[in-house]
Amino acid sequence: MKQEFTWHKVDAGQWFTTIGEQRDAGFTYFDFLTGVDRESLDPDKSDSQLQVEVIAHLAKPDLSDSIFVHTCVSEELDSITDLFQAASWHERECAEMYGIAFTGGDSRSLLRHETLSRSPLRKSTVLAARVLIPWPGGAEPQIKEDGRKAGNSSRRRQRPPGVPENWLKS
Amino acid sequence: MKHSFIALIEDKCTSCMLCVRECPAWCITLDSHTVEVTEEGARRPRKVNVLDSFEIDYSLCMYCGVCIDVCPFDALAWDEHRALVTADREDMLLGIVELRPSDSS
Repeated sequence: MKQEFTWHKVDAGQWFTTIGEQRDAGFTYFDFLTGVDRESLDPDKSDSQLQVEVIAHLAKPDLSDSIFVHTCVSEELDSITDLFQAASWHERECAEMYGIAFTGGDSRSLLRHETLSRSPLRKSTVLAARVLIPWPGGAEPQIKEDGRKAGNSSRRRQRPPGVPENWLKS
Repeated sequence: MKHSFIALIEDKCTSCMLCVRECPAWCITLDSHTVEVTEEGARRPRKVNVLDSFEIDYSLCMYCGVCIDVCPFDALAWDEHRALVTADREDMLLGIVELRPSDSS
């Protein structure tokens, strides 16, 4: 397979027809479909904005050429299971991880229990284990028993690495 | 060497907290206090951290080894201890004594 990838960006409304065209053009092998959360961690952004990029990778059966079709959606996208039945598994995974409804597809949940909270791979989803549990690294080793620091008292307070700032406000 | 256990060599630990802060699973807790040590010939007493407690919660640890990599004093090391099998989660919280390397017991 060649190394340069072909990216084809489409509007969400053109999703089904574009993938159908590409399939008819010879890309008959459906490789995968996945999502990427493009939302920044800006709390002002509402959920209605276009946040999740959905990417489908199609290839020719001999793997001589392949194409990525991608689009940005907020909540809904047409299912492509009528074109590729194998896309059903990927769409169900994408649906429960990113909270996208694939209209016309299989709406059952795939791996997660139905009563679980919102989409775990959305950046706006707060990980409870990183908010409810105090960070063990927050304690300063040089704090004396009377609460006074033994030197370096002006040092910046440590923050847990990898935890977004706005999770730790409260 | 099996990567089946992370052992603490207590004498090498300076309570610097690097492992606690770098652990992605937040499974290490450390407690220490400072004492002043007066060395002969020294002008001023030196402050030394004394380790009070060091615990690894093996119910959270994912054996990534970041704590071992990040320790500047090699106080943490891979060890060939058996994998922990227990019915009680509390038993997976191991302290300084349980974390001793297997060849030093």
